[in-house]
Amino acid sequence: MSTTTSAGEHPPAPLDDETLVARARQGDVRAYEQLVLRYQGPMFRLASRMLASRSDAEDVVQEVFLTAWRRLGQLQEDAAFVGWLYRATTNRCLNHIRARRPVAEADYETTESPRAETRPEHAVQVSAQLEALEKALQQLTAEQRACWLLREAHGRSYDEIGRIVGTNSTAVRGRIARARAQLAEVMRPWR
Amino acid sequence: MAVNYELPCERDLEQVWERLDEVGAGRADEHELSCPHCRTARESLQALRAATDELVAEADQPSPDLVGKIMSAVRAEVRRGHMMRLPSPEPGVVEVSEQAVAVVLRFAADAVTGIRARRCRVRTVGIGDGGEAIVEVDLTLAVSLRNVTGSEALTEVRERVSAAAAARVGLRLERLNLIVDDVYEADG
Repeated sequence: MSTTTSAGEHPPAPLDDETLVARARQGDVRAYEQLVLRYQGPMFRLASRMLASRSDAEDVVQEVFLTAWRRLGQLQEDAAFVGWLYRATTNRCLNHIRARRPVAEADYETTESPRAETRPEHAVQVSAQLEALEKALQQLTAEQRACWLLREAHGRSYDEIGRIVGTNSTAVRGRIARARAQLAEVMRPWR
Repeated sequence: MAVNYELPCERDLEQVWERLDEVGAGRADEHELSCPHCRTARESLQALRAATDELVAEADQPSPDLVGKIMSAVRAEVRRGHMMRLPSPEPGVVEVSEQAVAVVLRFAADAVTGIRARRCRVRTVGIGDGGEAIVEVDLTLAVSLRNVTGSEALTEVRERVSAAAAARVGLRLERLNLIVDDVYEADG
């Protein structure tokens, strides 16, 4: 990592996404690295809650950013990059879940407490409420979970979520409403 | 598919959700003030909202080496698009990227009727006397079905691409491999 800046210059202001995407599209690796630094966190959080596994989530995020780099040339608009990342991450997670064995009893143990399994040092710091929510999230269908997370944890619009999961915004609203009803049901004992 | 989570009081859970802030701000209607089902639903939804806030605030980070892993995979692919030295009368070095060379060479090939250039790979195999890179190029082409005299067209591609490499870029093209991997039906 070199940090060469011309004398007397202020550190450059962070570039906007569109500029970075345009530069990365022409093969600028540093511009792309800025985009990775900017968006790996949200994509990782989406994937780790979809999959209830940190290591699977990191694999997905790695694949998403490598594929994005390869396909930058095909991206129609530079502004569409973030939406593309969300779509790619969501779809990879859904495919990953579909490829898993059907939930058998052996699997149930691992899905039951992903947090304790993967991050024992954090387990005690997490409130009972959050733990209940995370457990309940894994009981939703993968599509409901995707819609709910994209809306409530990532602030995406219904239209955008519809494009991400390949349906219309009415269906998205329906899935989120069902997810919310199911989650609220589980939250009851913790209030 | 109907989204209808009706409470025993006939209000809908989504309705309770949408009115959560209003009620929280003391603007509850009479029903909301008195209905035990609505109150229970509100409490559950508030608990859900609090847990959601916690989930968002947690901002769990991936392991610190993830960016490094991603970027080394990205860089490994960039090497195919390496830089090539151009002849320069001045002391400074002039380089051109494979991608840029590819654009020029594809354009030259496209000028031949019935030919469409597709992939273009450029490898440096040596350095010439003028400091210019000596290169080997693999150019993948699609040929029009109407192009009955394919060999003539390919000869023309060879001439044009060699000329463009030398004149427009300044590279010495030592070897040009033309790979016809597809045919197409349309004109042009």
